Amino acid sequence: MNGALALTIALPLLGAFLLPVLMRVSVAFGVWIGPAILAYGCWILGDLWLTGSMQPFSVALGGFAPPLGINLYADTLALLFALAAQLLGLIFWPFKLDQDSARRQALMLLLVAASTGLALSGDLFNLYVFYELTAVATFGLVAASGTSAAYAATIRYLILSGIGSVLTLFGIALIYGQTGTLNLAHLAQLAPEQLSNELGLAAFLSLLIGIGVKAELFPVNTWVPEVYATASSRLSAFLAGLVSKLALLIILRLLLLVFHQPEAAQVILILGILGVVSGELAAWRAKEMRRMLAFSSIGQLGVLFIAMALPDGQGMLAVLALALHHLVIKSGLFMLADGWGGALQRLRGSAAASPLAAGLFVLFSLSLVGMPPLPGFWAKFTLITELAGQTEPLYLMGLTVFLLATVVEAAYLFRVAAIIYQSAPQERRPDEIPKAGGLSLATAGLFGAGLIATTLLIAPVGDRLQTIAAQAQDVDLYINTVFPATPGASQ
Amino acid sequence: MGNLTGLLFAGGLGFMLLAIAGGLDFGAPPMLIGSAIQAQAPAETGATNIVTSVVLGYRAIDTLGELSILFAAAASAGLVLGRRHTSAGTQTEGGFILRTGGGILFPLMMTIGFYIIFHGHLTPGGGFQGGVILAAAFFLPLLARPGAKLHHSTLSLIEGFAGASFILVGLLALAEGKAFLQPLLIQDTLGQLFSAGTLPLLYLAVGLKVGAELASLLSRLAQTEASQ
Repeated sequence: MNGALALTIALPLLGAFLLPVLMRVSVAFGVWIGPAILAYGCWILGDLWLTGSMQPFSVALGGFAPPLGINLYADTLALLFALAAQLLGLIFWPFKLDQDSARRQALMLLLVAASTGLALSGDLFNLYVFYELTAVATFGLVAASGTSAAYAATIRYLILSGIGSVLTLFGIALIYGQTGTLNLAHLAQLAPEQLSNELGLAAFLSLLIGIGVKAELFPVNTWVPEVYATASSRLSAFLAGLVSKLALLIILRLLLLVFHQPEAAQVILILGILGVVSGELAAWRAKEMRRMLAFSSIGQLGVLFIAMALPDGQGMLAVLALALHHLVIKSGLFMLADGWGGALQRLRGSAAASPLAAGLFVLFSLSLVGMPPLPGFWAKFTLITELAGQTEPLYLMGLTVFLLATVVEAAYLFRVAAIIYQSAPQERRPDEIPKAGGLSLATAGLFGAGLIATTLLIAPVGDRLQTIAAQAQDVDLYINTVFPATPGASQ
Repeated sequence: MGNLTGLLFAGGLGFMLLAIAGGLDFGAPPMLIGSAIQAQAPAETGATNIVTSVVLGYRAIDTLGELSILFAAAASAGLVLGRRHTSAGTQTEGGFILRTGGGILFPLMMTIGFYIIFHGHLTPGGGFQGGVILAAAFFLPLLARPGAKLHHSTLSLIEGFAGASFILVGLLALAEGKAFLQPLLIQDTLGQLFSAGTLPLLYLAVGLKVGAELASLLSRLAQTEASQ
């Protein structure tokens, strides 16, 4: 059964390779292949999640035991994000049919396969391969919108992403040059002796900046507003919601397993604070819905980095809660923005035109700001308690910035809400008022329903997140799962 | 502002490189995984070319990832280039030597390309290198006669099925109760043409996919250029 885990990566790739051929034979048949594969992937992962014993397991690909071969490592955290990748791929599936749909759907399948690989892989270089695949598939999908603004955004993203890839590869080379292995569990064993020095720190910095390009880390996030504003909303939702979290997850794993230097956490903390400040202030000044959401996403990711910087993985629960919360909220908000493009002032009167969309916007905004019964409050509350418990001034500064950012966030989100609920100007005809409707509204409604369900079930969800966080924090468990017969490792 | 940031970044990177260069132990690579693979590879995969046993055996999923990256790049290029209306044939034909030479070189390059693919498990070379030579063989006639067109539908057919067969070989192992992409059918004929089980099949798939992908990409670029 555990071997089926590889299918969640292999089948989307297979589908992507065959889709251009099959779509030429029969479009009616071809359009169902992608959704069917992703639905099957969801079923496999859901099955593993529900029937599994909640114990992590490792799958050796190619039958070669790690560290010689590559392994997939599936603990509850990895399974959760792999499931999210397949599910969101299904939700944000590019249904639109035109002459490019075969290529677009193939690229989407590649993106989902790569995201699943990022969540599951237990090998540093394999992670890099999937990271590259995510990047290249994204280039194509962003450029697929075909506008010149999209091309310009893609070029900028291409260059930054290229710099990031080179830095990542450099970091991996440093690590391999020092230790001679690439397996994460093996590295976790060797790291205390071989990587707790300047060289390890340099490798970590290269990896942080390199992978940070996708995780919207300050200062390598300049691609974010343009790409999210020009790509299709569904793609922006997938990138902002999921891919950024996966990049974050890799950095988190590296931090927990390999790099224990206090300097590493400090760098993350400072960059996180800068990300929060720059992102939230830029969002406050943004004149357009999608740009505002993109900048706000940078700010939110900055908050996640602050949580990640807490020593000894204490912030694990906060990172997990905030990441999942942001995943749901940002996906929903981007779906709402689908109908609400253009300048913010144009949105006057849209609450009367589509009351459900306006209600959802207020719900998402309230949760993002952290209104008490909603899940966003609990996520932020976890982080505040952890940060307040620290004695170092830098963490307290992080706390201050975080609280101030919340105020700014509330200011710009409610400004938009106020515009939406204003009455439409007299001189405009009713059909000029932008409406959020159809599929995007239904998708946003799905995320809204998920948010409300989480609010009602907050206690069991919180308990489950706590178990997941505890499991992901356990380095010995990771090593013992990948190398079952390691002598001398404490159980 | 941008210049200053760039300068600061480059300066910081340079300083970091200098600092760590001092601490590196040159000339003594840590062969932790390397020596283990060197000792076991011929027995475990049946390939005399150790690089091949790593590329298609120990790290086969990485190779699948690389193939997917190439595919994603080709599909993205197709999305961008496919929008322009192309009317090839405006370029002048190549000279006599190029045209005749292209005709003569085509079979030779095909032979070399396939030779390198089929011997990938024995000698240096393999699917990626051979595939590029195949693509060059198809692109040479296109240089000689810019009006000639490659059959994009045939190429995408080869591309799709070659990529699919790589995964299907991997799934076959899974269906037999082994791990995904585990090498099968390893014979006891180390060093011969028919050895190393399914690895040569995987390399053939890689070679065809790389060849078809590059050929269609190059011809697409050539056609787009011709129209401007």
